[in-house]
Amino acid sequence: MLEITNLYARLADGREILKGIDLSVGAGEVHAIMGPNGSGKSTLAAVLAGRDGYEVTAGSVTYLDRDLLAMPADERAREGLFLAFQYPVEIPGVNNMYFLRTALNAQRRHRGEPELDAGQFLRAVRAKLKELDIGEDLLQRAVNVGFSGGEKKRNEIFQMAMLEPRLAILDETDSGLDIDALRVVANGVNRERAPDRAIVMITHYQRLLDYVEPDRVHVLQGGRIVESGDKTLAAELERRGYAAFGDAA
Amino acid sequence: MSAVADFPVKPEARPYLEAARGYSGEPDWLAQRRRQALARFGEQGFPSRRREAWRYLDLRPLEQAPLVPAEARWADGSAVRGQLDAVGLPAPAARLVFVDGAFSAALSAREGLPAGISLYATHEAVKTRPELVEAALEALSHDPDQPFAALNAAFFTDGFVLDVAPGVVFEPPIEIAHIGSGEVSASLHTRSLVVAGAESRIRLVESFVGEGRYWRNDVLALRLAAGSALDRVALVEESEAALHFAALDATLGPSARLRNFALLLGGDTVRQDAIVRSEGEGAHCGLYGAFLATGHQEANIVTTVDHQAERGETREIFKGVAAGRAHGAFQGRITVRPGAQKVDAHMLSRNLLLGTRAAIDTKPELEIFADDVKCSHGAAVGDLDEAALFYLLARGIPREHARRMLIEAFIRDAVEIVEPAMVREHLLGRLARRLAILEE
Repeated sequence: MLEITNLYARLADGREILKGIDLSVGAGEVHAIMGPNGSGKSTLAAVLAGRDGYEVTAGSVTYLDRDLLAMPADERAREGLFLAFQYPVEIPGVNNMYFLRTALNAQRRHRGEPELDAGQFLRAVRAKLKELDIGEDLLQRAVNVGFSGGEKKRNEIFQMAMLEPRLAILDETDSGLDIDALRVVANGVNRERAPDRAIVMITHYQRLLDYVEPDRVHVLQGGRIVESGDKTLAAELERRGYAAFGDAA
Repeated sequence: MSAVADFPVKPEARPYLEAARGYSGEPDWLAQRRRQALARFGEQGFPSRRREAWRYLDLRPLEQAPLVPAEARWADGSAVRGQLDAVGLPAPAARLVFVDGAFSAALSAREGLPAGISLYATHEAVKTRPELVEAALEALSHDPDQPFAALNAAFFTDGFVLDVAPGVVFEPPIEIAHIGSGEVSASLHTRSLVVAGAESRIRLVESFVGEGRYWRNDVLALRLAAGSALDRVALVEESEAALHFAALDATLGPSARLRNFALLLGGDTVRQDAIVRSEGEGAHCGLYGAFLATGHQEANIVTTVDHQAERGETREIFKGVAAGRAHGAFQGRITVRPGAQKVDAHMLSRNLLLGTRAAIDTKPELEIFADDVKCSHGAAVGDLDEAALFYLLARGIPREHARRMLIEAFIRDAVEIVEPAMVREHLLGRLARRLAILEE
């Protein structure tokens, strides 16, 4: 589903952040990418989602047999790529429901499916909120405005569940969450596991992996994946620390 | 009146002096008023760009192609029914409609007004309440920054006079619709007055819409007595070839509350002046608004609030959006006179600049001559929030649509102040419609 080959990327100021990433994620798989601060985790997420301000200098990314890097960000999303933001953006004046319905209908139009009217949409929303155990109070507010850290992350998971992506990239969705919020997020991720969907969790800590069991774990260090393994790698990381891996080892 | 003037006349004023004519059936005092005003305009001419209040507006196109006043035509108004339906409120308590500056009885309805609220067309009030028309004509009559108010006094065809008795509280909005039919290419001058009696409370919604090329020159005087409250909304959707100059002159008595909101969506050149004298102790002045300028549009908002008494409050929030080759300007001045202690005044101008060819100037100023006051101002001009835009893109919303959502949100934030909900929703509907055809 996702094939990253020898990916190099740098910031607008010329600093090279990704230095030859190789990663292959298949349909139905859950991967965890773990790394310390500054290892390039968020840059990888941003480059995959198509954010401005990064320049890919070498390598390729193939997503569902297409050149992902050639697509603008909004098209990537309509093609089923979802990024759960590390810092969900507050957008005053844009109602959360209006925003989500606009997004969902843009994606449905793209797939040639009929748009949902307000009533159909609301029914779908209610069902999904119940399933995820998220309160309805998020609905009437402006996008992320006045949300607590936990509410923002729940809103990301809720959006993921509504948009039903093919590939979900979770950028430190677990950071800053208390144990209850972490459970909601983990429960949401587990529910969204599906044979035709891939999930990539980017995280600093092993904590989330206590609740969501990954198929593969990768260690990102200095802009490269220095170690890959099964779920036991996460426990090893926790025990030995990042310093034991890669260049620093 | 004669085209031969015995006073010095500025060249750009000449076509207007030549267009002067008698208004048959008008009383002598009014004819004399008109003559005096015309003389003043002739001497002053158009405002110079060297005047600070006019530095952002290029009046040369108007000098080169004058729009002299139209003769009042009392149309039945059926031709503008479509425009009225679009811009009008769904259910106003009362409505006066002016077509090309003249009252249309057929489109107007006043039956819904309670006792204590008198609503006249200005031409009616000339006969029945001349003292109010005189008061209306006093407004801005000696302001060197407002020569077009003198032109207005010389040529006004109509307008409205709203007289609210003390203690009358009426919540449903009273609507005034100014419509340009497109049948005349001329200047349209309306002169209006609101007298809010002590402790009265009313809401007023004015809309300005039209077709073709015309120059609307509107002057409105507000006289708020002690403890009265006036909530006014102005919706400007003039034609894309129109000039719209509107001057608001307000006087606030003790503890009076004025809240004015202007949404500027259409017109080639739109300028709104608000001149407020906060004369009574503890008066509250709220001036709010937003403009959306695209193409080659020009939008100017100029406010002057003069605090003459203690414990006055002013709140100003204006939001501007300019795209294409449009230009917007906000000039706000708050003055606190000596002795006007405990004044609390804040002014904020926030602007969104879309593209590299649009421009916005913002100039908030405070002039403070009292030592125990709380005054501040802020101004910002920026692009759309990149992080917010990316968030919308990352959910699959196409770029153009995402930009519109953010522009709408920016202006919507300013509109939130409008009450009641019916009026607010109406404005938001007009805004959405305007954004749907936005060309950046």
